[in-house]
Amino acid sequence: MLHVLLAKDLRRAWRNPLPWIINLIVPLAMTALIGLVFGGKGDNGALGRIRFAVVNEDKRILSDFLRNAANQSQGNKYLDPVFMEREEALKLINANKISAVLIIETNFVRNYLTAREPVTLTLIKNPAEAIHPAVLEELTGAMVTGLNAISRNFNAEFPAWERVFEGKEDYHRVSFLIDQAGDKLKAARQFIDPPLVSYEKEEPAPERGTNQVAATGNAKGARSANDGWSGLFAYLLIGMSAMFLLFLGQNAMTDLQRELRQRTFERYQTLHQDVWPFLVSKVVFAVVMLLICSAIMFGGGGVAFQIHWQNPLALSALIAGYSCFVAALFAVLVALVPDERRASALNNIAGMALGLAGGCAFPRQQLPVFVRDHITPWMPSYWFADAARSMQSGAGQNPWGATLFQLLLSAAILTAVAAWLFRRKFRIGLH
Amino acid sequence: MFHASSFAKATEDRQGECAEKKELFNRKDRKEPMEGRRHISFRCRHVIAMATPSFRGLERVKGVGHAGRIFACRFINIAYTIRLMNMLGVERLAKTFGAIHAVDAVSFEVRPGEIYGLLGPNGAGKTTTIAMISGLLKPDAGEVFVAGTALGADPRKAKRIMGVVPQELAIYEELTGRENLEFWGRMAGLSARDARARTSELLAALTLTDRAKDAVKTYSGGMKRRINLGCALLHRPQLLLLDEPTVGIDPQARLNILEFIGNLRASGTAILYTTHYLEEAESLCQRIGIIDHGRLLAEGTLVELQRRLGGDRLFALEADFKNSSPDEWNGFHQRFRVIQKSEKQLVVAAVGTRDPAECLKDLLALPVRVENVTVKRPSLNDVFLQLTGRELRE
Repeated sequence: MLHVLLAKDLRRAWRNPLPWIINLIVPLAMTALIGLVFGGKGDNGALGRIRFAVVNEDKRILSDFLRNAANQSQGNKYLDPVFMEREEALKLINANKISAVLIIETNFVRNYLTAREPVTLTLIKNPAEAIHPAVLEELTGAMVTGLNAISRNFNAEFPAWERVFEGKEDYHRVSFLIDQAGDKLKAARQFIDPPLVSYEKEEPAPERGTNQVAATGNAKGARSANDGWSGLFAYLLIGMSAMFLLFLGQNAMTDLQRELRQRTFERYQTLHQDVWPFLVSKVVFAVVMLLICSAIMFGGGGVAFQIHWQNPLALSALIAGYSCFVAALFAVLVALVPDERRASALNNIAGMALGLAGGCAFPRQQLPVFVRDHITPWMPSYWFADAARSMQSGAGQNPWGATLFQLLLSAAILTAVAAWLFRRKFRIGLH
Repeated sequence: MFHASSFAKATEDRQGECAEKKELFNRKDRKEPMEGRRHISFRCRHVIAMATPSFRGLERVKGVGHAGRIFACRFINIAYTIRLMNMLGVERLAKTFGAIHAVDAVSFEVRPGEIYGLLGPNGAGKTTTIAMISGLLKPDAGEVFVAGTALGADPRKAKRIMGVVPQELAIYEELTGRENLEFWGRMAGLSARDARARTSELLAALTLTDRAKDAVKTYSGGMKRRINLGCALLHRPQLLLLDEPTVGIDPQARLNILEFIGNLRASGTAILYTTHYLEEAESLCQRIGIIDHGRLLAEGTLVELQRRLGGDRLFALEADFKNSSPDEWNGFHQRFRVIQKSEKQLVVAAVGTRDPAECLKDLLALPVRVENVTVKRPSLNDVFLQLTGRELRE
């Protein structure tokens, strides 16, 4: 029975492939979108060097130090500063050739040393990029914080230092200032090294009976893969895909609405068959479509961003379970609102709500407290995204088996609800 | 005659059950009269309940005495046998949507090899009635019997011997005609081989063999209608429910479909045919039920319905009736029955059996200046007009 229904749907899809093509284009577009929005990738999936312009309008020795600091050792590994005038830099940013422009304003050093005004550096971000400008913004913020910290501790010596930099002091005076600075740094050392607040990542314990060397090797491999930006992309991709699968599920289930509109489902009901096989065939068909789309999103995304999926088999099982849930959910929504036009708005709202409340678009921590504590834990979209992310980051125990069971159980319950609703609808009059 | 075997089996089963009950009744009655009576009473009620719910009130049979009870049981058995003879029985079926009574206490039967036409305007309740009979809609009241079994008791069994042709084209336009037929055949419970074989038969019968491999969306309206009809026939249903199967197609295609349906009837299929086309009902149906506003207003053969108008002739008078009324004419209502009256026309039928020439003479002697008199055979439209006060085509 089921295979006859599926063969019928397959033939229909083959003869009218446009809805399928559209559905397959969506995940491709989504993968490309993430790539465009979150900037380019470097070697080994890392961020790559951030190219930005530095405009030094102060033209003093100290500001030159600041300018050149970006080009030193570790900075040189990640940063690719170019030095130029403001107009030229703005032209480059408009041409999308640099990620940001850092401007050291006129009188920056004088203002800093005299402590007349707070430290001000201007950063113009490229609106066409997201990650690189954000990283630069963070770095600039850190630099300003550091400068402020120095200002607070060495403010009294600044006039003397300024004279040193201008060459107005002799070597004895310079020696005294260095000695004084050394004493202050020595006193502050206990607060700086080690820092008062520290962070240490715990490695998951190796499984019992596993070869210790192999386990260590795996842990290192996982760490190296999670280093850099592939982890971030994986985090984003899982969330965004969970959300997109909701919208794709809605599209996949429009075929059920079409069957209702064309009265073929109603005709089926006049036969001795139960509503179950028809509904299950639609869910299975939608799941197949969602799995193909998922393969494009997760597989394509993985290739494009060089994401190393930690447990592809478990991830595939989770995706299958989530796809079942999504298809069954939209079967229920079709049963509730069979009219395509009316259903469209409801389905969009339901998809958005599930995606947002499930922490797919934003991390759970950023959601309102009530939603985070009382709603999100009940969202299957959260179960999926959280389990997949945990599995990818290697944090804690991987609860994917339990999550898969939860998702499949939800799908079964929702399909049963949809069948009951359809039976009821038919009995009281569908149209 | 493909349905005869299962029908006969069902009849045998029921008759066997009844004979067994009778034997039990007779035996007990002779040996233990008092006990037997109590037993008879129980049996009677039991059979009544199974046979016709409307007979449940016959518990009063108790007061009639022993002979009366025996008579009642026999009567019920006869009624039950009649029910078994009907392929479809509809009893006081009712459905309400909010304040609208879509179907209101509709009762009729369809026998094997008979086309029963349910004639009524759009919105009369025809489709709702079919939806309830086919098990799609749950009736608010009343019951449907298919081959003697209540639909509610075993809907799957009833649906197995039923074929439903919806008013809309409930077929897959992307699939070919053959694929559509095969698919619905499989859904109706046929094996793949049987579905293929039956599809070929039907394509030939519907004269669609040469277009069998084309997608249905490339078919003409008439061809789509034929496929729509064919999809309900794969499993050789004993009862066919046709909901306006000729809507929106050209006269030639309609003629083909009507001919095909006529052949189905000849093969013994019981057909319930809803339509709002008078000509179809007149030419195709053995019995016709006229339905309007959810109520079955009249039913019978065409001749029986025509007789309701008081004979086989109607007189249509054209005159200025603006200022005159038949009520003012002395003894008019004793001689004629008014079927329809407008400002320009009066349609009447003679009361009793009267000579047409005499009737004409009477009519021409009326105190109005008659411009024209037409004598015509009463049509279904006239019956509908008389029953509802408006024409079916309005």
